[in-house]
Amino acid sequence: MADTANTPPEQPDDGRVGISIDGRTARVPKGTLVLDAATELGIHIPIYCAHPKMEPVAVCRMCLVNIEKFPKPQPACATIAGEGMVVRTNIPEVAKLREGMLEFLLLNHPLDCPVCDRGGECDLQDFTFRYGPGISRFPITEKVHFKKALPLSQHIELDQERCILCWRCVRYYDEITGEKEIVLQQRGVETLVATFDDQPLQSKFQGNLPEICPVGALTHREYRFVSRPWDLLRTASVCPECSYGCNINVDSRDFEIRRFASRDNPLVDDMWLCDRGRYSFPKWNSSERVRRPILTSDDESRDVSVQEAITQSARRLREIADEYGAASIGVLGSASSTNEELFLLERLARSVIGTPHVDHQLESFDDISASEHTLGIAEIEECDVLVVLGTEPEEQAPVLTLRLYKAERKHGARIIRLSGDAGVDQAVAATTGGARIGLIADETNRSHAAAMAKGIGAVRRLTTTRGPNGRGAKDLGLLPNVGPGYASVSEAGRNGRQILEGLAKGELRGLLMLGPNPALEADADLLTRALRAAACVIAIDTRPGIVSRGATVLIPGHAIFEKAGSLTNVEGRVQRIRTALPPASATPVETRILTSIAKEMGAEEWGDGDPLAVNRVLRDALPAYAAAGNGGRALFAAEAVA
Amino acid sequence: MTLQAETRTAIERARDRYPLPRSAILPALWAVQGELGQITPDAMGEVATILQVAPSEVEAVSTFYSMYFQHPHGRHEVIVCINVSCALRGAEGIVEHLERSLGCASGETTADGEFTWSSTVECLGACGGAPSMQVDHHFQENLTADRVDEVLGALRGAGPAVAGTPRRAIRRRDPAGGGAGGSAGRRLGAEMPGPRTQHDGESDPAAERGGGPAPTGPAGPPASPAAPPASPAPPKRPRRPRKDAS
Amino acid sequence: MAEYKLLTKDFGAEALQTLKGYERTGGYQGLRDAFTKFTPEELVAEVKTSNIRGRGGAGFPTGMKWSFLPKDVFPRYLCCNADESEPGCFKDRYLIDESPHQLVEGLLIASYALQVNTSFIYIRGEYHDQRLLLDRAVEEARAAGYIGRNILGSGFDCDVIVHGGAGAYICGEETALIDSLEGLRGQPRLKPPFPAIKGLYGQPTVVNNVETLCNMPHIVQRSGEWFKSIGTEKSSGTRVFCCSGHINRPGNYEMQLGTSIRELLEEHCGGMWQGRSLKAFQPGGGSMQVLLPEHIDLPLDMNAVQEAGSSLGAGAMIFMDETTCLVDVSMRLVDFYRHESCGKCVPCREGTYFESELMHRLEAGRATPAELASLADICSNMDGRCFCPLGDTATWFVMSAYKYFRGEFEAHCGAGRCPVRAQATALVA
Repeated sequence: MADTANTPPEQPDDGRVGISIDGRTARVPKGTLVLDAATELGIHIPIYCAHPKMEPVAVCRMCLVNIEKFPKPQPACATIAGEGMVVRTNIPEVAKLREGMLEFLLLNHPLDCPVCDRGGECDLQDFTFRYGPGISRFPITEKVHFKKALPLSQHIELDQERCILCWRCVRYYDEITGEKEIVLQQRGVETLVATFDDQPLQSKFQGNLPEICPVGALTHREYRFVSRPWDLLRTASVCPECSYGCNINVDSRDFEIRRFASRDNPLVDDMWLCDRGRYSFPKWNSSERVRRPILTSDDESRDVSVQEAITQSARRLREIADEYGAASIGVLGSASSTNEELFLLERLARSVIGTPHVDHQLESFDDISASEHTLGIAEIEECDVLVVLGTEPEEQAPVLTLRLYKAERKHGARIIRLSGDAGVDQAVAATTGGARIGLIADETNRSHAAAMAKGIGAVRRLTTTRGPNGRGAKDLGLLPNVGPGYASVSEAGRNGRQILEGLAKGELRGLLMLGPNPALEADADLLTRALRAAACVIAIDTRPGIVSRGATVLIPGHAIFEKAGSLTNVEGRVQRIRTALPPASATPVETRILTSIAKEMGAEEWGDGDPLAVNRVLRDALPAYAAAGNGGRALFAAEAVA
Repeated sequence: MTLQAETRTAIERARDRYPLPRSAILPALWAVQGELGQITPDAMGEVATILQVAPSEVEAVSTFYSMYFQHPHGRHEVIVCINVSCALRGAEGIVEHLERSLGCASGETTADGEFTWSSTVECLGACGGAPSMQVDHHFQENLTADRVDEVLGALRGAGPAVAGTPRRAIRRRDPAGGGAGGSAGRRLGAEMPGPRTQHDGESDPAAERGGGPAPTGPAGPPASPAAPPASPAPPKRPRRPRKDAS
Repeated sequence: MAEYKLLTKDFGAEALQTLKGYERTGGYQGLRDAFTKFTPEELVAEVKTSNIRGRGGAGFPTGMKWSFLPKDVFPRYLCCNADESEPGCFKDRYLIDESPHQLVEGLLIASYALQVNTSFIYIRGEYHDQRLLLDRAVEEARAAGYIGRNILGSGFDCDVIVHGGAGAYICGEETALIDSLEGLRGQPRLKPPFPAIKGLYGQPTVVNNVETLCNMPHIVQRSGEWFKSIGTEKSSGTRVFCCSGHINRPGNYEMQLGTSIRELLEEHCGGMWQGRSLKAFQPGGGSMQVLLPEHIDLPLDMNAVQEAGSSLGAGAMIFMDETTCLVDVSMRLVDFYRHESCGKCVPCREGTYFESELMHRLEAGRATPAELASLADICSNMDGRCFCPLGDTATWFVMSAYKYFRGEFEAHCGAGRCPVRAQATALVA
């Protein structure tokens, strides 16, 4: 007899179906899996093999639920919700089968939780506790044994005994990266996951494996025995290793970062991190830091107070400007600085000091414009043809490769990889017939990509930059030839290289710089000469090095995880970073320092330099950033294609 | 290059037969095992290259199936069925006899490298002639201890090593304390040689087939090597193009 | 009643395995008739009329399966399932051994009906000599123009590929067979999509058993109506039954469906051997439930046997006398499933291992009553919860044996050895 209380009422065809789960009803879009409908209704269904980014396989059988009119329990992860479906999960049949599946899983499991890194964030533990049997009832003579602590590479360790054969790692290597490095071998209860001939993993995306593994079979070697999850402090932030802007969770313990974990943003990283970014965290724990402001005059350095550093900075800059002119001062921001810092630095440079010489890197680009960032990362999946120019884009932002593979595999996009100097006609020929075309290039190939885009016609572009905020630095006008929002400037200034050369030759006298700036340090010789020759260098930096040794006034900076602010990624997405570690010094954050310097130089209405307040001012000044808000894309140009 | 040209050609030919190259993985592995007597990592790498798949995918497949293995076996492969129908007709007695006469346990190879034998629960499909075994993939049915001796004796040292398709030893732990394959002392029903008749009085349906390629009973060296399905003999005609290459 | 020799009528004829020998008995006339008398759609309708059910074990109506193929999607594929691995089953081997051309002809007729231009015969790796027979038959058929382009001037092209497996019972499951044919590990697929919609290489595919296809020349030549008139209402035609175990004449017997099992056993198999009596029998191969002597008068009919709590399955009959220990038989079958489990899903992979360990302990007389009681619970956590029927069927025999021979199972607990065997030895001695 139909349970009318559970049966949802008939509805007109609105592209949705009505489903009832444990008496709760919902109307979900056609094609929705029962599992997802349950999640929407707040009903928990345990799963192992199901994964939001992978096709369902229904091998673990944990999600079996009772569906009216079906003779056998059905896997919620692989069953599409049908109109009028009545699903039950809170009945004895389902409780018993869950207990049974867990008993089966624990049968050949080593139960070595005390020495397993996964303990505390393990689905096997959690579901056993919630749904599983209380005791083992059968003294199996011998569990099936496999290799434990098998290093698959420098990053990943495999424990084949803990593996519950959910197939996620195998499917990851098939569906997400296409590299097929881990496969199933053997059959039946002797099945295991392994690499070909026990060869090490080569992938640049191995670090995602321990995250998708629901148990402790695949673990990070660098995290082995390091911590338990309940001892970690988790902060949501953004990976600073490249300009792609993958969202991460920074997990720290005792004020040291222990690992980066992914934080699914379907619009950017899609839950995946590259190994270079993921395993870059140790350097942020370095104790080699600039800890106190230092004033150097006549080759004598002494510690000074923050206030004195600020006063000295303002005074010396004023003196040089008065004596030699504002244009004798160069201002260099960094692609590793936050938007708020760069916004203030640009204003300090052009409006307060009055110099046109503003940049954030060595080389400049005449034809820089916002049209080079019209293709959003997620929009890659909407293209039917994608041209990748050269190997640099994927080398700079490895996670891009995964998004391209997804477009190819899931949506049938044609991915055409051309060499960096391929002819325009080659690109035109390759993209003929494409309805939605994307062109991806690196910023070092900017001009050629622009010419190519012109040749192709209707095309959207994505350009990879350097540093976690390479795009923000450009948006905010840390460039000699454009101002904030790509507005024209009254007077074009020197680029970074020209600024340093000018200093080295004595044509420029003063330098104000925000660090760290790896782009400048790429030409260490030039930088050293420039700093040595300059009359005055005001530098905010974090580490001892060329800059700290060459600065007149050295003010300790905050590393990227020690401050709040925003960064803008390759596609113009403005993303918050948060404080995950305490600062290495007692010095206020850069925005406050810059504000104080500006005020001492006579600037008015600069507030107090609180990063959030600066952000509001920034948004007021740049409507694109106001529209972007927190997490949206700041778009300056009209869309290049429909 | 691990594989001989002939093997490579056989794999390429198999590849070109199928709508999809990777479908030829099984025939390719048979060809490999036919030449090498086992599946080696190098060989898998070569197969992968010819079939345009990843080597890991080849290994995933080769380790799934019982009949491929990754280490060399004896010159001849003997597999005795101990599933129900054969067990009902005295298979365990045959197993004991093999243990004694060959001097090694199920899954092992004789000291002279002549035979690798194992008992299997994988029904061979000879239930009407139980108890039964396969020797180098040829059926031997209605077994008695004497018949077993006859068949194996004829093979022993009787010809060049058969690059056959030996079977992977099946490790079966026996908690009752028996050896691998667990055969000691286990009988199913009393074993009686007794009057034994086969359907229509024939001794072995497969044994005497007029004109068939299968070797008859206790022949000398097996008439045909247990060859891979790919192409044991040179083709009689040029390769035909695939039909639905649309 | 005598055997009804339809498929096996000419077995034993001189050189029947060769093309000439087969044609001498009227072979390939069915193929000719198919082209000249039927359109593909009409052929499908004829097969539907015949009511023939798949002879691989599931017994799904073949004509209905054929009609599931979407009309305008090409290419489509036909795979003959010659992966016969069910314990007790050896009929497909017999059919191939005796008359490989009958299968080839049936396959070609089906290919024409389904408009399939590339057909496969997936034959288990252990059937090495049978594969060579098929290879040769296919080459002979090709030389005679029965395989290839514009067959017999019909305008229909068809190629046949014989594909050897490598030892995996699971590849007899149709989607696992398809995966294996694609060059993957032979593991079953999620359904939906069903093979008829998305099968081999993502195209519509039909998988049919050897025996099912061997019937096609006869249905074509003698009509679907005629075929329907043989057998029973729900199970038409004949079937080749594999008889083994404690009987006087083990072997394959082709019987008209509806004949009683008793007749098969007593008249054709010569009854139980050694003057012993029947203790139990399995009517459908290793996967099916055990039946008792009281069931011996059941007709060989899918529905009737199903109502009695078992199934004709693949048509493999195993007869057991009173010296048989049902615990030992159960143990062997459970071992079989454990060995053959593909490992894909948790309940089958771990459950068959669990069952196997438990049954070994029980058979050796070392299990406790609590462990025996847990056997039923373990099986209930497997049956209906596995990814494919293998895991489900891994519980059927042992649970039915436990139901009917509970005392025997319980007597093993703590006995230190098998009590039935001890008794049997005394009986024989």
